[in-house]
Amino acid sequence: MSGATIDSLLLLGAVVLPFIGALAAGLLPTHARNAAAWLAGAVSLGAFLLLCTVYQAVTAGGVVRLELEWMPSLGLAFVLRADGLATVFGGLVTGMGALVVLYARYYMAAEDPVPRFFAFLLAFMGSMLGIVVSGNLVQIAFFWELTSLFSFLLIAYRHHIAAARDGARMALTVTAAGGLALFSGFLVLGHIAGGFDLDVVLGAGSQIHAHPLYPVALILILLGAFTKSAQFPFHFWLPQAMTAPTPVSAYLHSATLVKAGVFLMARLWPVLSGTDAWFWTVGTAGAITLLVGAYIAIFQHDLKGLLAYSTISHLGLITLLLGLDSELAMVAAIFHTLNHATFKASLFMAAGIIEHETGTRDIRRLSGLNRFMPFTARLALVAAAAMAGVPLLNGFLSKEMFFATALTADEPLPLGLKLLPVTAVVASAFSVTYSLRFIHGTFFGPDPTDVPSMPHEPPAWMRLPVELLVLACIMVGVLPAATIGPLLDVAARSVLGETTPEYSLVVWHGLTRPLVMSTIALALGVTLYLALQRHLRRGVEIVPFLGALSARRLFDRAMVFLSWRLARSIDRVFGTRRLQPQLRLVVCVALVLAAAAAFVRGVGPGNIAPSEVDPVLAIVWAIGASCALGAAVTAKLHRFAALVMLGGAGIVTCITFVWFSAPDLALTQLLVEIVTTVLLLLGLRWLPQRKDGAGAQRRPLIERVGRLRDFGIAATAGVGMAALAYAVMVRMPPELLAQHYLARAYTEGGGTNVVNVILVDFRGFDTLGEITVLCAVALTTYALLRRFRPAPESVQLPAQQLDQIALDAARPEPRRGRLVADWLLVPSLIGRLLFPAIGIFAVFLLLRGHDEPGGGFVAGLTASVAIIIQYMLMGTEWVEARVRVLPLRWMGGGLLFAAGTGIGAWFFGYPFLTSYFGYVRLPLVGEVPAASALLFDIGVFALVFGATVLMLIALAHQSVRGRRATPALDATAPSPRVAVGAATGDD
Amino acid sequence: MPSFPLPPLSPALPEIFLAAASMALLLFGVFRGERAAREASWLAALALVVAVVLVLGGGGPRQLALYGMFVTDAFAVFMKVLVLLGGIFAIVMSIRWNEQARIARFEFPVLVLLATTGMMMMVSAADLISLYIGLELQSLSLYVLAGFKRDTVRSAEAGLKYFVLGALASGMMLYGCSMVYGFAGATDFATLAATLSGGETLAIGPLVGIVFVVVGLAFKVSAVPFHMWTPDVYEGAPTPVTAFFSVAPKVAAIALFLRVMIEPFGGYVADWRQVIWLISVASMVLGSVAAINQSNFKRLMAYSSIGHIGYALIGLAAGSKEGVESVLIYMAIYVFMNVGTFAVILLMRRNGEDVEAIDDLQGLAQTHPALALSLAIFMFAMAGIPPLSGFFGKLYVFMAAINAELYVLAVIGVVTSVVGAYYYIRIVKLMYFDAPKPAFDRPFGAEMSAVLAVTAVVTLFFFIAPSVVVDSAAAAAASLFPG
Repeated sequence: MSGATIDSLLLLGAVVLPFIGALAAGLLPTHARNAAAWLAGAVSLGAFLLLCTVYQAVTAGGVVRLELEWMPSLGLAFVLRADGLATVFGGLVTGMGALVVLYARYYMAAEDPVPRFFAFLLAFMGSMLGIVVSGNLVQIAFFWELTSLFSFLLIAYRHHIAAARDGARMALTVTAAGGLALFSGFLVLGHIAGGFDLDVVLGAGSQIHAHPLYPVALILILLGAFTKSAQFPFHFWLPQAMTAPTPVSAYLHSATLVKAGVFLMARLWPVLSGTDAWFWTVGTAGAITLLVGAYIAIFQHDLKGLLAYSTISHLGLITLLLGLDSELAMVAAIFHTLNHATFKASLFMAAGIIEHETGTRDIRRLSGLNRFMPFTARLALVAAAAMAGVPLLNGFLSKEMFFATALTADEPLPLGLKLLPVTAVVASAFSVTYSLRFIHGTFFGPDPTDVPSMPHEPPAWMRLPVELLVLACIMVGVLPAATIGPLLDVAARSVLGETTPEYSLVVWHGLTRPLVMSTIALALGVTLYLALQRHLRRGVEIVPFLGALSARRLFDRAMVFLSWRLARSIDRVFGTRRLQPQLRLVVCVALVLAAAAAFVRGVGPGNIAPSEVDPVLAIVWAIGASCALGAAVTAKLHRFAALVMLGGAGIVTCITFVWFSAPDLALTQLLVEIVTTVLLLLGLRWLPQRKDGAGAQRRPLIERVGRLRDFGIAATAGVGMAALAYAVMVRMPPELLAQHYLARAYTEGGGTNVVNVILVDFRGFDTLGEITVLCAVALTTYALLRRFRPAPESVQLPAQQLDQIALDAARPEPRRGRLVADWLLVPSLIGRLLFPAIGIFAVFLLLRGHDEPGGGFVAGLTASVAIIIQYMLMGTEWVEARVRVLPLRWMGGGLLFAAGTGIGAWFFGYPFLTSYFGYVRLPLVGEVPAASALLFDIGVFALVFGATVLMLIALAHQSVRGRRATPALDATAPSPRVAVGAATGDD
Repeated sequence: MPSFPLPPLSPALPEIFLAAASMALLLFGVFRGERAAREASWLAALALVVAVVLVLGGGGPRQLALYGMFVTDAFAVFMKVLVLLGGIFAIVMSIRWNEQARIARFEFPVLVLLATTGMMMMVSAADLISLYIGLELQSLSLYVLAGFKRDTVRSAEAGLKYFVLGALASGMMLYGCSMVYGFAGATDFATLAATLSGGETLAIGPLVGIVFVVVGLAFKVSAVPFHMWTPDVYEGAPTPVTAFFSVAPKVAAIALFLRVMIEPFGGYVADWRQVIWLISVASMVLGSVAAINQSNFKRLMAYSSIGHIGYALIGLAAGSKEGVESVLIYMAIYVFMNVGTFAVILLMRRNGEDVEAIDDLQGLAQTHPALALSLAIFMFAMAGIPPLSGFFGKLYVFMAAINAELYVLAVIGVVTSVVGAYYYIRIVKLMYFDAPKPAFDRPFGAEMSAVLAVTAVVTLFFFIAPSVVVDSAAAAAASLFPG
């Protein structure tokens, strides 16, 4: 906290007090009407008095500042900054708040939850004060949105009424959206000015004007200001918001909320104005709003609707003044803001009294109320006269100022047109007309016949705020220099500083041109009112000429478009729940992105010249490619064929490895290919069979086109991948890991088979982890399949077998059971013979693994291939009747062995898994590499073998169990001996 | 005699602890049987709390472990705490719901623990390999979690769909990694950064590699156009799982995204910025517009999360320290408002049945005022309306975008957040203005009320002391930018 003076703390108190009050009021019970009202009144008055104290400090032209840490990393502090303008506005906000609280105490019905109302009102007051005295832009935006939020809650206070909800939602949508625009505008402005502190921004005027982003910031900020201050074309929310309780309208829609936009424009006037862009946007919006608002106001039948459009018009007037880029206009704008607040609030209150007493606000139904509530009528008459700009009242003075500036302002219009004075006169004539309509239509004429209740004077306390406000109108109107003079001076000086112009606050300037204009406007207004009598009496709802131009309808349409049509079409296009298009999208986007990257940057030639293509290898590759293609094409139609072709592609890969002198890699790859293919083959039976045959009938065109498209995508993606792989291969990377291994395989690992050395030595720890995982996978597979039964439709014997059985049965001497027994007779014989051979080969691979192609992993796979062949050719039962593999023991033993080898190193004083290498001469075999890694390799071998066989058994038992599920098919099958001790198929 | 000491493991202590804890919990569950779900859940939550303590205790200067594959720094600490918080909230919120849905099994918290371990690994990855391992550990656990309610078709479909698409994305990412390795000859981020630096622009090979890595990561954060799985999985998965999905994996994936883009490829922001720019804009637009049309609250939240990721990616597109900081702040705020919203969704049960339609919230303010109030707080926060926390998230990312001169991005962000505000506010309107539907089942349970209270208070009063998050985010962001 820096530079905290008493004044700055008082200022903080003024901002915080309403929020505390709001919290307290919110906690009061629903029926605590008086307590809430007293609380709210006290808080408002308290805040007002605090601001009065601050005002003393500000009068000398000083600025009260308070800075608290907030978001230091952004360079944002919580800054309160009260100068003349802020204090005067703050006084307006709190003072008016106190009056409104008093008024609302008598206005609100007994059944309304009043504490909630006062809580919202106080919170709004706090937010409004926050805008006014904030010292940095982000903070202003923050409080700005808060006012939108609380005004939403206040407008929707009677949320059981549909119109109140709609009005509230529209107000929130428009002002909150504007607030976000304002927020981004502030971000841009802060970026330009180099900081968000208001003093920094206000000191960077020339920098801001010159910056290329100035128009962006201007437009965004003006969007915020215009939406809040109901400027054309964003004015439509204000009349809708008239569904709010009248105290809310009196407070928000005359004195505070709608003035926020105006205040902001005044606040930033020194840095944003002075350009053509400012003049045209602000000036035009203001002028149009001024005219259109006043014109529509004439034709309103709802008292509050009339006042709402009149407010729009007056806000347009203020905006226009701000747009004129003249210091005098600036003073007039501030002056009119204050005046408008007083007379409009009193009129709203009067309208509320009328509604409260008669039960209606419709001018068509009201008349002659002067006789029932004479005192209220006189008050309203004075206030309306101020609105119309009748001399000796405050509205007259600021209007005179407006006329004066309208006459003198530079208008960069072509042909030297002077539109402004004309606009001013016409608009103020309109204002005379609607003021007349308000007074004459309501208070004069015959007695009302059509009102819900017969009116009389309201309680004196309810009238008191109106009396005070009207008194202010008269006082300012008669003695301006003594009453409002100092306030206006302080406020204007805080914005304009040294350039504050000379202006005179007296009622009589002599017979000047503005006075003439006023007279003309008065006369015109009265004439217009008389001329419109017939039209108005007909009571039609439509505004002549402008009826079709309804911004509200545009808003509704836009909302429907955004919230319904656009959303639906986007949802339709992107919201598919089907997997296929989702996959397609992912692949396509990846393809496009990669292609775009390649095209933008360009793929130059590599730095390695490709060797020439060997025709034989090319043919092999062509075969492999066609296999892959065939697999893709038939994957859906014929899974078995697809799998076989996949195997073909795999074989080509192996051949390629051999071709490029990587036999170890080839061997590993080959075995992985074989095992996976077999496992997949076994797994095929769980997939449901396709119902429709391949290519049985012609598919509809759309499906064929779809397939063609998918083919295209797949082909493009495949070619793209291949091209990328090619691009990688023709480049020599800076430093290859492979060279690291190649260089050290023998010197540090004692082996020349690099893959094996990497597996068991350099990355021994990894391999230990991997085989552990393999163990877990095998166990999981087994656990999953243990209680699993194949799909019923896949249990049936194959069609060929059934045919053959039928054929056999038809023979004279049926040979039951021989069919399966004779099945694959020759291959099975060979398979049986191969069993020991493969076993020995596996051991051979294991032993030579360290230097030559081979190794524990490959050896394990090889050994398991021996078993797989037996299962495939002889059938599960036959194999398990003869061979007993105990995979769990193999796996466990292998794992222990491998880990033990690693631990063994500790006993020799080496870290875990350090390997020793040397050669041992065995009889018959000769010299054998005997790195300690060999022991590790044996563990790997045992584990891989065990794990593969375990999975195999789990799969193979499905066939047995499947048949058991339908015993009728093969009742003679003997129950298999179970190789693993676990229960099978007992589900 | 060369000596090979054990690699320094202490930086990875939280991960090791969690992995061990999940194994222990698995054993505990196996021996205790089906009854153990509740105890297992609380134990898992406890393990996560311990992990938070370990993570915070391990904070400090940047440390590499496991031969440069694993890194802890302020950034990792920040993100891990968020991930762990997401995990804790998800487990605590799941207990009662799972029991009611008859899927209370001890595997649930174990899977959450495993997924969380994977996420922490992702956050701390300093190498393409460890990145992938963390990612897959996370993804595999999540696939199972998505299909956890096996007896409903929707849940099974969610799991399967997530798996198929996730595997595709993982494959692409792996392909990208191998491209990068193929050209740069290294997988660890430090060497990559050193090898790749020097040129004006990135060579074509690593660039294409990055594109594929980005595709994979964008899938994991569910940014448009790789978002397809999100609505289906969010809707189909059991709600506690969805709640978990919407926070922890998002945070981890964003963390990974930031680290991968900034550490090895940070010198070439200009090269990858367009891609991030595009997916950010697409996510914001789709997230805000498509959400309007949803009637299912969980689906709505899916689109909402897509949109939020779009905003977070603005910060990444900025590519600056400030941008990273804004993403961190955004994610921190996002975790709380999202968890809170899901707490409300989890409480939406009527007559023992889940209700998920947005219309079921009608008149909530009259039947459950406190619930309605907290949901209103979350909705306003998500809409980015001050003074709620969501506003500050947006403030920071937009500011970062503007300071990085990404004006168009910032403006699009503002416009979409206006559109997005519409559907959040619509929910508030439903709750406060519409005729009430029958009340939800009571009681809500103390733990749910606690979660709601904590998240609502954080969301509502963030503005009072933003520096708690902001300062640590700033330190975290700074740790990604050496020097």
